[in-house]
Amino acid sequence: MIEVVTAPPYLTVQDLGRPGFRAQGVPASGAMDPWALSTANVLVGNPPDAAALEWALAAGTVRWRRAGSCALAGARVEATLDGAPMRMHRTYRVREGSTLTVHRFIAGRFSYLAVDGGIDVPPVLASRATYLPGRFGGLDGRLLRSGDRLPVAPPNGPAPAPTFQVPPPLEPRYETAECRIVPGPHASLFGPSGWAQLVSAPFRIDARSDRMGYRLAGRELQHTVDTTLPSAPVCAGAIQVPAGGFPIVLMADAPTVGGYPVIAVVASVDLPLIAQRQPGDEVRLCPSTVSDVQRALRARAVAIHTLMHLAREKQAAGSG
Amino acid sequence: MSDPAAPDRPSIVPLGDTALSILLGDRVDAALAARVRALAERIRSAGLEPVREVVVGYAALTVWYDALRTDYTVIAGALQSILDQSPAASPAAGTPREHRIPVRYDGPDLTEVADRTGLAVSEVIARHSNRWYEVYLIGFVPGWAYLGDLDPALVLPRRSVPRTRVPAGSVAIAGAQTGVYPLATPGGWHLLGRTSVVLFDPSAEPPALLAPGDRVRFVPVAG
Repeated sequence: MIEVVTAPPYLTVQDLGRPGFRAQGVPASGAMDPWALSTANVLVGNPPDAAALEWALAAGTVRWRRAGSCALAGARVEATLDGAPMRMHRTYRVREGSTLTVHRFIAGRFSYLAVDGGIDVPPVLASRATYLPGRFGGLDGRLLRSGDRLPVAPPNGPAPAPTFQVPPPLEPRYETAECRIVPGPHASLFGPSGWAQLVSAPFRIDARSDRMGYRLAGRELQHTVDTTLPSAPVCAGAIQVPAGGFPIVLMADAPTVGGYPVIAVVASVDLPLIAQRQPGDEVRLCPSTVSDVQRALRARAVAIHTLMHLAREKQAAGSG
Repeated sequence: MSDPAAPDRPSIVPLGDTALSILLGDRVDAALAARVRALAERIRSAGLEPVREVVVGYAALTVWYDALRTDYTVIAGALQSILDQSPAASPAAGTPREHRIPVRYDGPDLTEVADRTGLAVSEVIARHSNRWYEVYLIGFVPGWAYLGDLDPALVLPRRSVPRTRVPAGSVAIAGAQTGVYPLATPGGWHLLGRTSVVLFDPSAEPPALLAPGDRVRFVPVAG
């Protein structure tokens, strides 16, 4: 069990989400940065899709009530474990009574704290992800508060040895603001000039951005389509263009259907680059092809698999 | 790139790297919605291995697939063969499920709707409750069903200022549609009444009470 001693303003339980229920109106949800969540899990010997804590915005402290392992991945934070500074993307051991404090966010928006065994709240619709708009998943479908205690499952094997660090080529990185996109179902309605406007210069992430969608500011797109179409299913990463002409990138908790034209869709592997950007940060949309971004998706899966393999080797070396 | 405005000739387009959409038209009509549902059913029953989910809209459907096991070209080709198999055949629709939903017509917008439509309150209630509605699609929030078509006399634009919180169970109208808020959410529809029927229960199987193609009738009950 771990205990939230001092909750930050945003702290939830997340895993890789609940695909399979979109026909019921339930979005897949899950971690805003699945890459970081999977990385944190592998660092503590969990399967990549185990439930962990998604932490944003500000400082807070958690305490262990059982010895084990932990790791932080994603947004770079200044954090200490029992007073000693922590690195990102590295395995740490914890004792019963250990406390971890995130002091501040240095870069990025969502950091993931994984614990060996995984957070063991009851699954709802096959996932432990917190879906705040529906008030289900996670701990009673809500943000975590100071004093909350979270069950942790028994580890399913030894964690990698402490000091195991993700090698740089496999590490989640967010420096680039270049996100690949492919044309969406309604791209042709915007014409070549609409597309050119989308990709010609960077956008800024607007302050009105949350787990449902990130608004892009800076430039309006000109187009001549009706503002709404008959509602149709949409996906995370879809870039909708409402009447105002300011695009919105749909994120993990976005509704399953939408009526605005979808000009483009962000590559799954690049969506974390957007998720991790702060209001005011730039993002540049770069045209790609479905076959290229599907290759990138497979490469990401291979990278996570490689990391799991290295983690197991490190575990064997550590215990031998 | 295919033209989504081209009517009645289904076209397959990618929706990112893990889904694709099949566009059948660009309008809201019951016959088109029935074709969308029938096609969704054919795709589900074809049991293509990489297909994960099939979700319908008014005039389009979306297929989610496992992009680690296949790629767009292959899955689009397999779906094109399904489209080619029975091109213009009208679907043999089964008997739709029917739901009667009791409503206390005491919503905060009832009198305003009566004023704006020039109808008596009792007439608003009668016109809302005297017909069967069809579930076009599920979405917006879990379990939300877009129901149509409303009596033309009740058609109003959405409220100019949406409410920040509409209670769960609120029965509402907007445009040519009606629906029931499954969860407390922000909303801009006109609230006519309330029901105690649970539209969405994550512990139920399936969690949403209504499904596309179902028929719904609202039954006035005393408050």
